[in-house]
Amino acid sequence: MKIEHWENWLLTDCTGSAQLPSNIVHPIALFHIPIQGVGTSIAELFALGQVEGAGSVGLEGYDWEYFSLLNEDVEYRFEGQVIEVERLQTKSGGVFDRFVFTIELSTTEGNPVAKVTNSWRFWRTR
Amino acid sequence: MSDIYDYLGYEIPSLIVDQVDPNKMKTMAAILRDPYPVHWDKDANETLGLKGRVINQGPLNLSYIANMLMAWQGPACIKRLQARFLKPVLDGDTVIAGGKITEIIDSEESRVRAKVWLSRDNEIVLEGEAEILVKV
Repeated sequence: MKIEHWENWLLTDCTGSAQLPSNIVHPIALFHIPIQGVGTSIAELFALGQVEGAGSVGLEGYDWEYFSLLNEDVEYRFEGQVIEVERLQTKSGGVFDRFVFTIELSTTEGNPVAKVTNSWRFWRTR
Repeated sequence: MSDIYDYLGYEIPSLIVDQVDPNKMKTMAAILRDPYPVHWDKDANETLGLKGRVINQGPLNLSYIANMLMAWQGPACIKRLQARFLKPVLDGDTVIAGGKITEIIDSEESRVRAKVWLSRDNEIVLEGEAEILVKV
């Protein structure tokens, strides 16, 4: 999968930043590009978590590592897995499932480019 | 700075995002193919007590910190971003990205660790750490 110029341009614009030089992809692309790269989607992950509607999903945190710059129009490979699903309760009694997945990006030659670990909350009761 | 250790305790120049723009959230939702309505449907947030306002995407909140770091040390400086999302940011909010160098990770590589945050009205809404390459 490649990150196309138009997509990076719009993404960078959304952040309020000037466009980056030398076709560098904005670092925030590590949110959606890996998800798409492994052949899934945010919608599909929501369906997997059986969540729908406002307030059903929350973010816990990200851990994103950049081993090299990402560039537009370069082919990358993606490999990922769900590494944790745990039902937890908040102090106020709310119940959610912590859903953690990790995806690694590499060049077509197998050189590591980036690794993301994302932790989401799928709310069951608030 | 002439010495990597001069960076210890240094406060990174902050970045102010004046009034988060709901139209950028809509574009972002389309780019992400994100079906979660809290980012683009003001009426969907009534049950959350946020009728008339939309919630900024987490990646956009983190992007303000990335932009602060890149404005300071260039577009290739970010090596790691870790973030914990504490409070939602809404359209119209003004937020400030800030950071402070806390550790020299590798002096030969000029790699340092920074505590980073995003605040709104002096309340931290996102906090985390960044590993960045700095110019010496």
